[in-house]
Amino acid sequence: MIDLLLISGLLAASIRLGMAIGLAAIGEAASEQSGIFNIGIEGIMLVGAFVAAWGSVHTGSPWLGVLLAMLIGLALAGFHALVVLVVGIDQFVSGIGMVIFGLGFSSFAARLTIGARPTAVPGLAALDLGVLSHIPIIGPILFAQSPLAYFAIALAVATGWVLKRTALGLEIRACGANAAVAEAMAIPVKRRQTACILFGGVTAGLGGAYLSVVQVNAFVEGMVAGRGFLAVACVMLGRRRPLAGFVAGLGFGLAEATQIRLQTLYPDLPYQFLVMLPYIAAITALVVGHASRRARPA
Amino acid sequence: MSSEPIVRVGLVLGFAVLIPSVFVLLAGHNPWSVLTTLLLYALGPQGWSEVLLHAIPLTLIGLGVAFALRAGLFNIGSDGQLIAGALLSVVFAPYFSGWGVTGLLIFLVLGFVGGAALGAFVGYLRAWFGTSEIIVTIMLNYVALQMVSYLIRGPMQESSRFWPRSYAIPEDCVLPIIVPGTRLHAGLFVALLMAMLCAVAQKRTVLGFQSSVLGANPGAAAYAGFPVKTLTLVVMAISGGLAGLAGAVEVAGIYQRIEENMAEGFGLAGIAVALIARLEASGIPLAACLFGIFFAGAGALQREVGLPFPLVWVIEAAMIFAAGALHWALAGRKVTA
Repeated sequence: MIDLLLISGLLAASIRLGMAIGLAAIGEAASEQSGIFNIGIEGIMLVGAFVAAWGSVHTGSPWLGVLLAMLIGLALAGFHALVVLVVGIDQFVSGIGMVIFGLGFSSFAARLTIGARPTAVPGLAALDLGVLSHIPIIGPILFAQSPLAYFAIALAVATGWVLKRTALGLEIRACGANAAVAEAMAIPVKRRQTACILFGGVTAGLGGAYLSVVQVNAFVEGMVAGRGFLAVACVMLGRRRPLAGFVAGLGFGLAEATQIRLQTLYPDLPYQFLVMLPYIAAITALVVGHASRRARPA
Repeated sequence: MSSEPIVRVGLVLGFAVLIPSVFVLLAGHNPWSVLTTLLLYALGPQGWSEVLLHAIPLTLIGLGVAFALRAGLFNIGSDGQLIAGALLSVVFAPYFSGWGVTGLLIFLVLGFVGGAALGAFVGYLRAWFGTSEIIVTIMLNYVALQMVSYLIRGPMQESSRFWPRSYAIPEDCVLPIIVPGTRLHAGLFVALLMAMLCAVAQKRTVLGFQSSVLGANPGAAAYAGFPVKTLTLVVMAISGGLAGLAGAVEVAGIYQRIEENMAEGFGLAGIAVALIARLEASGIPLAACLFGIFFAGAGALQREVGLPFPLVWVIEAAMIFAAGALHWALAGRKVTA
């Protein structure tokens, strides 16, 4: 029974800790299916986290904060689209520029507004379905997450469905597979790619907002701490399928939740080695993922 | 969008100036007076040596980033490689007590080796497993940060065990100050020497040629029979080695031990330096000086005007975008001419 409770707590926590990565992975998967990488989502998540915290503190409504984060994500992704598709800057160069910009924007603005030290941010309450949320073991996992988490699951499924089953999805995948051919087939390539990049920006902003108004209830400089890059890794692991990328994000949540529990279980072990685990897991997963892909017949 | 090149160049330069200015304005300061304060400090009697001091690691890291990027490899892990280099050299430093200049040289070489080992690992994964070097280098940055955090609180901590920092390196391993009364040290010569070596490697060696081809057209490199896998590994090793050398130089020139958050953010700045110099080794020291002005100047702005230091990142990002867009702005000339 105690084991079951432990596992239940662990799973509930991994959903909570992996959601920001998973959210960002959904949009990045769509963006990569259309042929455009955006490693700048790390920066967009940072700005999203800050803006959501700022909006939440100033208006008192975390939902407004979340909305602002989505809008700023949209704007920053729009800039990435402009720079990559119109100006023709290399997408990785633009992405790195966005990471640095996000770092600067969020830290600079945070120090001038809500303070460099963590300020308590009004957060989104977790769902409370009364009896359901309090069912032992499965209650905390299934019925007591943030409303954003349920939205994210629906979004991952819906995005996957659109990409795989609709004419629009086929067009998007055609842009990613071979832009010249797609163009010849009269598909408005740049318009489709722009839409996907913008979508990626919104989910990255949302992922950042999740961190500051759901997971931590504060803004801390650099709080994204590589989750945006992990989201890109998740998309690689999920082979650009939104749902698979989302699940991979929750997998990193599990690694994080395990790591935190191990810290309390083994206080003698230097905690730094445990903090490393999710990052090492990412490298290992990418190497193993590639090896297994190669073993499979083409 | 106008296709007139002058309009385009104007747009790009305007953007590079406008974005940081907006941030300064929002912070309630006058951008013009902030800029003059920054330049007066950076080029003034106190500032110039600090500018060069920052330019030393930025040059080395920028050279490494550019070396990899010429071969089409994104090394975003300079921060981790810098730590790996600093760690390896400081681990062995106590043995070089009394060795004089030889000790210093070995100390610096070990820095290169430490960074090169980490870079080679990334190159190996990239070449043999197809693993994205972008993601792996970033992940290794976080691993390296945790490693340093552990070591300077554990096995490598100074004997008084008060501060989270390593023991001091022996005096033989310290780079001498070259201008009395400043912090400017002989690492400047190391950086310039490396810039020259890289410029030669770029233009005159088989390695430089093959990596340029690999970067421009991987298919052509494979078709020409270049050892693409080994090349990837070697290029990443050199790139990481230069960052590792930067770590050893920072320790030998400034800190004389390993401290938490030393050289923080230099990895990303090194990418900006490499991009602004258009990956040309000869231009990298100049680009590094430009960012040295921002780094040293922003420190002064924070102290004197109260503008938060992260403004540097905003400027850096604006310059990355502007440098990339200049290509677009000038390409318009070919079309119209």
